[in-house]
Parts: sequence; structure tokens; C-alpha cells
Amino acid sequence: MNKFATVIMAAAAATLLVTGCSKSDSSKIKVGFSQVGAESDWRKASTESIKGEAEKRAIIELTFSDAQQKQENQIKAIRNFISKGVDVISFSPVVATGFEDVLKEAKEAEIPVVLFDRAVDVSEDGLYVSFIGSDFVEEGRRAGRWVVKNVGENANVAELVGTVGSAPAIDRKKGFEEIIANYPGIKIIKSQSGDFTRAKGKEVMESFLKSPEADQIQVLFAHNDDMALGAIQAIEEAGKKPGKDIIIISIDGVKTMFEQILAGKANCTVECNPLIGAQLFDVVEQIHAGKSVPSRIPSVEGVYDNVGGVNVGTDREPVVTKKITQEIVDSRKY
Amino acid sequence: MNKSSNKFRHLIWPLVSLALLLLFNAIFTDNFFKIEIKKQDSAQAVQSTAVPDDLPGAAGTAAAQAAAEEVEAAKQTVKESAGQQAVPEKKDDKGVSIFGYYLYGTPIDILNQGSKVMVLAIGMTLVIATGGIDISVGAVMAIAGAIAALLISMLDAGNCIGAGMGPAWYWIIPVAAALVLSTLAGFWNGMLVAGFGIQPMVATLVLMVAGRGVAQLITDGQIITFDNPGLVFLCNGHALFLPFSVWIVVAMYVIFGLLTRKTAFGLFIESVGNNERASRYAGIEARRIKWLTYVICGFCAGMAGLLAASNIKCADSNNAGLNLELDAILATVIGGTSMAGGRFFLSGSLVGAILIQTLTTTMYMKNVSPAIVAVPKAMVVIIVCLLQSPVFRAKVLSIFASKAAKGGVQ
Amino acid sequence: MKKFKFPMRYVPISATILVFFIVYLIGIISFDNFGSPKVFLDLFVDNAYLGIAVIGTALVILTGGIDLSVGSIIAFTSILIAKMIATGSNALVAIALALAIGIAFGMLQGWLIHCFSLPPFLVTLAGMFFIRGCGFIVSEESIGIKNDPVFNFIQNDLTIKLGKGMNLRFIVIVYIVVLLAAIFFSQRTRSGRSIYAIGDNELAATLMGIPVGRTKIMTYTIAGFCSALAGVVYAVYLKAGNPLNCVGLEMDAIAAVVIGGTLLTGGVGYVFGSLFGVLVLGLIQTLIVFDGRINSWWTRIIVGLLVLAFIFMQNLITKISKSKSKSQ
Repeated sequence: MNKFATVIMAAAAATLLVTGCSKSDSSKIKVGFSQVGAESDWRKASTESIKGEAEKRAIIELTFSDAQQKQENQIKAIRNFISKGVDVISFSPVVATGFEDVLKEAKEAEIPVVLFDRAVDVSEDGLYVSFIGSDFVEEGRRAGRWVVKNVGENANVAELVGTVGSAPAIDRKKGFEEIIANYPGIKIIKSQSGDFTRAKGKEVMESFLKSPEADQIQVLFAHNDDMALGAIQAIEEAGKKPGKDIIIISIDGVKTMFEQILAGKANCTVECNPLIGAQLFDVVEQIHAGKSVPSRIPSVEGVYDNVGGVNVGTDREPVVTKKITQEIVDSRKY
Repeated sequence: MNKSSNKFRHLIWPLVSLALLLLFNAIFTDNFFKIEIKKQDSAQAVQSTAVPDDLPGAAGTAAAQAAAEEVEAAKQTVKESAGQQAVPEKKDDKGVSIFGYYLYGTPIDILNQGSKVMVLAIGMTLVIATGGIDISVGAVMAIAGAIAALLISMLDAGNCIGAGMGPAWYWIIPVAAALVLSTLAGFWNGMLVAGFGIQPMVATLVLMVAGRGVAQLITDGQIITFDNPGLVFLCNGHALFLPFSVWIVVAMYVIFGLLTRKTAFGLFIESVGNNERASRYAGIEARRIKWLTYVICGFCAGMAGLLAASNIKCADSNNAGLNLELDAILATVIGGTSMAGGRFFLSGSLVGAILIQTLTTTMYMKNVSPAIVAVPKAMVVIIVCLLQSPVFRAKVLSIFASKAAKGGVQ
Repeated sequence: MKKFKFPMRYVPISATILVFFIVYLIGIISFDNFGSPKVFLDLFVDNAYLGIAVIGTALVILTGGIDLSVGSIIAFTSILIAKMIATGSNALVAIALALAIGIAFGMLQGWLIHCFSLPPFLVTLAGMFFIRGCGFIVSEESIGIKNDPVFNFIQNDLTIKLGKGMNLRFIVIVYIVVLLAAIFFSQRTRSGRSIYAIGDNELAATLMGIPVGRTKIMTYTIAGFCSALAGVVYAVYLKAGNPLNCVGLEMDAIAAVVIGGTLLTGGVGYVFGSLFGVLVLGLIQTLIVFDGRINSWWTRIIVGLLVLAFIFMQNLITKISKSKSKSQ
């Protein structure tokens, strides 16, 4: 029997993990949420917001799954949610494509789906009830408008792009380019992917700073704060002053970035709000109660900089930047 | 062929490839070889140097001219700044150097960024020399970075033993802990391979699959940032003109180089890699030798993990060391070490690591999408491997030989 | 107990099946709906592409080699098909081309490995980088496959409805057919038996007159085909292509092969076992999703432990059978 000992050990390990799992209570609203992963501070903040809010609301029973940035894991998770018989499915898609079949299956099983953070690309309507989250293109536009209003109509921009092929990278680039297309004086002279990580952001910025165009770079536009934080280190090492010699603007609005702006090492961050736990479960409860919800719910987001009072929205829908103060930094949770 | 050329023969191909790549950059990438000397406080350019001799005329003069202008401008700024009062250094500022000056430029960046792979390659070389492989080094890097960042954050908060030492010294604790933990990880791999006789690729697969999960659990999935001057110095500080990380690589190269070439240890490794059974019969403790190489590899991975964390001042369990095991293996193989075991070249592995990093940096400077970098990388690897394959050489030689023979007949 | 003689070579595969049922039982006891047939069916739907890729990996491992290019070939094939359809090609042409590239690529890898005696690990590693890079050259963005007649036909007309929410998809049928073919090939054909012989002892196989080179190249070619087919199935499954997908899938495939009872040094194991290897991986993932509270990274850790357990068991068996043959 010795040879089966190992198998039994493995089984015991698995049993240990699931001990204490009770069968679910039918009076609660069962929600299955599939998160992209834990790839950045921003993502972590959104996960905590969702988990924290679910704990606060007694009526919600949350089943949370982390896809580890893999679409295949996410699709499996959604199918399993359907099999498990949750009342509402919510997820933050890893990429825009490839969810059509599984969403149809959810529709067949009459489980409403709420998207969060990123939209999906499907050919028919009605596959999801609502989409809560930021408009990445608009974020890029806001960044572009901030550059136009604060740097002027002539600027050489270096761009740190997000993960190649990911929705935020594509959309933020699109939005930014849309705005600067009207100003021929603003040129993107360097553009390279920093994979949304600090390490790559730093490495790529180092190479920018050694390129022949290094001295012409006036503005750095990073697709997220993590890359900008890496780039700040690289700029300092090159002996330049981040925030002065090179104006830095990025997207996300994490606390570390606020601290850098307050310290004068960066200039602006366009918020992309991860704290949507409350918004999400409000919508879930409304759906469960049979009320209709809007199909597109923008998350409440601001733009923070070291100037304040700049309108980076359109004239019709103004979005005025807030100047970062110590209180704002302290009140930031992530 | 005389003895000295034999000794360096293995280095020929990687060096030729590297030289070709550098030549490409010398011609097509401006400023590639520009190295400035910077001062530690907010770094004024004092002097710019180094235009390599192999530069073709036109590009060379252009670069020289640019360099000359640079010097003029630099002199001016120095004059200006001399009049101003010196700004007191902040404690956590980078660019801390022993003698106050350091070199700055793309080649230095390549050395600094490549230091992780170089350190990894040292350990990997020894493992591969015994006929083994360690694919868990990337995950071990993540674990090392995670534990170091966790401990330093606990020390900063004052709830860990040793916090009394003060931030100037207590960074030793996380560094030591990370190295000990990664050495233990290496010990575990060695136990599976040498102790239980499991195939190395599979034995280390276990830690590769599970290790990143462990790192995630250590940091609770968060990116832990730190700014402890000691820990940051590892990959951001400078000593004797060069980044400190380069000196770590040099130190490790000297230590393991001496260990393998000046003691019998290296000979034992090659012997085990050549024929394990024969070396056992010859009285070599084959198991213990193999085990030790995995322990060394774990230690190297831990050091690389510390460098990676130090470089960006945070531990990112998700991305730290991702796919670096592949780079380390490639560096080793490019350096002439045989995957079948039996011979190894530490210096070759270092050249291989520099080659890979140069390739990556070149792609960045040429605005090539990093996703596509993989294609030329793969081709370089296959070509270098083919060049080193005895079968390939024999076949190519036979083709030449037959042509020569035909020529002779005619 | 002593009188019943259970053949040693069936122990690993029985252990795999046992683990599968234990994990399944744990799921059924712990969660509502875990025992529903839909969960079981979804295991096949969600893992069909992985299963097909694992078949190729299993054959390569049986020869004593390794194939790391699996995940990249899947990503490349899926993005190639999506891109071709988006630019107006016929889906069948795209699929045929993708399969042809997979076969050619596998053959190239096998050729490099055999003819220049390069290590399989290295060649397929380079292959992995190369083909993923090619995927990014085809398209850096993910591309959806919309309103394509062939894909719609597969989706709508080749799906067998088994009840509410339960669909036996065509890709599952493809997987089962390929699996049966591979089982037959490895057990009942001369080439299949050659694979075992080479994996057991390459030198002996050469001396016995088995065409080692041809068989090895053929095995890598089959692996290339399986990976490309997995890519096609993946494209059908997602109706999209994405060059970023399936990173690190080769490690899952190797883990599935090990858990499926195949010895990594080659020569011992069954292709049939890979089915249960894949199902166990899928079940563990399902279990952790159903629980929804523990960190998903535990999936990786448990899989790591399982692989370890199986390796230990294999080692034990090898030692026992060696000591038996000595004592005889």
C-alpha cells in the first residue's frame, strides 16, 4: 500500500483546502466575480474594494476568482459560475475578444452579467446587462488635453505604452493621439511598451534617455502609474529632474503617484478609479430586485495634478483637475 | 593550435556575435557608445568619452563632434554650478558613489540591467555542467524579492527583530533572509535531483510551478515598495565608477571561478556531467557534487532576485524574474556550455548574458516592439547552437571538403 | 492481497484515475451543483484544446524528448486564423494553412533535434520564442472572428444539445477522436511501438533496426500538428485569436502528462493517461473557482505538489521493478 501513500497525501492536502466550505444559503444574492489578476497596485485596490464591499453587505455572497492574467482561466471561471448557479456574474475581461460563447451560455442560463473595468467585443446586444468602468479612450484624451493646456502647443512626447495588444494600452494611445492630432507641434518622438510594470518602465526609459533624441524629450506620457514610477527613477539617475526637465503625466492615480506629484517629481495623473465595489453591488442589488439599470455606468473619476483648475474635459462636460495636497494623499486608500 | 588559443576558443563565437551586434549599434544607433562621467550630486556631465576605434569614419566624426559639443556645454554648466551653493544630499537619493563619480551611458545600462541574468547564468552554468537544468530560478527570484521586501517593510514599521539597528544597517537582515531562503530552495531542488534521482527538468518544474504562488502568498499579492538606502544601493548605487550590481557580478564570478578552477570542484562537476557512474566508481561523491550545484544555483537566483527588487525598489511577485530562467539557460548555452553536461565556461555565460541584454536594449533603442524581440533572439540561439554542434560542424566541413576534393580533381 | 497480482505498469494510471475520483468526490461533498453533469461536460469543453496539445506532448515525452513550443503554436495558429478571416480569407483555407504551418514547424524542430543532435529542450525553447514573436508580427491586438459561415456552422450545426445549458460541442468530439486515434497509434502500430522503444533505450532501438531518426522527426511533427490543431480548436472555442494567449501552457501540458502517469525519462506511460491528467488539472481549477475564497494561486501550488507526488511514485515503481528484475 506504500505506493498509494503519496496519492492519499495529495488528496489530504486538497481536502484541507476545502474544509469548512459550507453549502450556500439561498436567501443571499450569489455573485461570481472573475478578476484579471493581481498585476498592479491598481488591480489589487479594485480587488480589495470588491471583497470589502461584499463583506459589508450581508445579502451578498461573493465567489471570487483570480484569472492570473489568462483568458483561458477566466472563461473556465465564468463557466463554473454558471454551473454553480450564481445569481449574477461579474468580471473584468482580460481582453475584449473571445467571450461571446460563454456570455451566450450565461444568457441561456438566465444569469445577468455585469462587466467591470474593460468592455467586451461581441456581435450581438444583450449579452451583458451593464458595464461599469472607465473609458480608456477618454482617459487618453484627458491626458492629451492636459498636455496641450499646460505644456503648450509645441512639445516632444515620449510614450510608455502598456502591454502590447491590451485594451487599455490601445485605447489610451488612441485617445491621446486623437487630441494631439489637432496640434502639429506636439509630436510623439519615442514610443515603446513598458508592459505596465515598473521594471520595464524603468528599463525602457533608460534607453530613451540615452537615445539621440534624449535631450528633446519634454513630456513623458505613461499608460499607467507603475511605468511612470519606474521612469521617474530612470530620469533621476540620468541627472534630470522629473516633473521639471521632463513633464510626467500618467494614468491610474495610485497613492504612490500622488506622493510623487506632491514632491514635485511628477505632474499629473488621470484617475482610473478602481474602488467600484459599492457601485458594483448597488447595480447587482438593483438587478436582483428586477429593476432596470443603465447599460453603461461611468465610474466617478477625477484628474489630479500639481496645478489645479485645468479643464481637461470638453466644454460641455468639464472635468477640472484637482491640485494634490497632503490631505488628498493621506485619504488615498491605495 | 597552441594552448592559449585553445583556452579561449569557446569564447570566439559568442564574442563574434556580440561584436557584430555592437558594430551594428555603432553604425546605426547614435550615441550608443557615449559614456559620460557623472557626479553623484544631481549629476552634471563633466566629460564625455569613448568613441570606439572600429567606428567607420563618417559616423565616428559625427559622434566625436557631438561629443566635443557635449564637453563644451558640460564645462559651462560646471562653471555655473561652481558659483552656486552645493545642495545638501538627501539620504535616499540614488547615484551614491564611493568616490563621487560614476559612468553613465548605454553600455553601462546593459551591464546593470544584464546583471540579473549574469548572476543567474553563473549558477545555471554549474548546474548544466553536471548535465542538469534548473527552470525554477525565475520563481526563486520572485520568492527572494518578496521575502526581502516583506522583511524590510516590517523593519521599517519596527515590528521585527533587529529594527533597533537602524535603517542604515538593518537591511542586512532581509538580504540575508532572502539569500538563505533561496539557498534552501536550491537545496530542495538538489534534494529532488541528487537525493531522489528525479529528472532535473521535472524536479525543478515543481518549484517553478509552485514558487510564484508562494511568492504571491508571502506578499499577499501586493507590490511591496521600499526605499531603504542599503537595499536600494544593490542595483542603483555606484562604486568605483560602475553600478554596484556589476561589482556583485564580478565578485560572484571571482568566487565561483576560483572555486571551480582553483580547486578540484570544477573538475568533479565536469566529471559528473561527463559520466556520472564512472565518476562514482572513481570515488567522486557524484550526488553531493550535483546537490551542491543546485544549492549554488539557488543562491545565485536569490541574489538575482534581490537585484531585480532593488532595481525598481519594490517586490513584484507577478513579474519579477518572469521567463528569466530561459534567458539564463540561453546565456549559458550561447557561452559554449554543453547542455549534455561535461564542460562549462563561466566567462562564456557572462558574455552570453551581455549578448542577450544588448539585443534587448538594441530593440528598445530601435523602437522595435518588445514582443517581436523574441524572433531574432530565437534565431541567434539556434545559430549559435548549430555553430557549436559538432555534428553540424562535421556536416559543413564535409561539404567543404567534398567541394575542395572536386576542385582538386578538376 | 498478495495473491492478486496487479501489473506494475498499471499502477501510475490507476493512481491518476483514483486522484481524479477523489478530487471529484471532494467537490461533490463540498459544493452544491458540483456533481451536475454540466460541470463534467464543461471540463471537456474548457480543456479540449489543452487535451489535444497534451497528446502531442505525451508522445514527445514518450520518446524521451520535450516540447516547449506548444503554447506559442496555439497562440500563433489562433491569431493567424483570426487575422486571415478578418482580411477576407476563407476559414477553411486559414485552418488548412495553420495546420500546415504547425506540421512544418514540428518537422523543422524534429529535424534540428535529430540531425544535429541539439538538445530538444533548447530547440523547442527557441521555437517557442520564435513562433510567439511571429504571432505578434501577424497582429499585436486580439482579433475577434465574427459572422464567419464556417465558424457559425461549427457553432450552431455541429453542436449536440443534451439538455438545458448542456451542449456537446464539436471541439469535444474532435478531442475524443484525436485521443482515440493517438491511443490506437501508440499501442497498435509499428511506429507507435517504436516511440516506446526509443524512449526506453535509444541505443538499443537503433541496434534493433528501428528507424530512430524517422520516428523522432515524425513524433515532433505529430506534436506540431497537435499543437496547431489545438490552436484551431482554441480559435473555435473563443471565436477569437490573441497572440498573448496560452503563455506557459507548455508547463501545464507537461504537468498533465506527468500526472497522467507518463515517465518523463520516456518509454513508460499511456496516452490514455493524459486524458485524466488534463481532467485532474481542470477539476482542481474548478474546485478552487467553486470555493471562491481561497487565493487562486493555490491552483499552482496544488498542481506542483501533485506533480511531485507522481514523480515520487514513478521513482518508487522504477526502483521496485529494478530490484525485482535483479532478484529474478
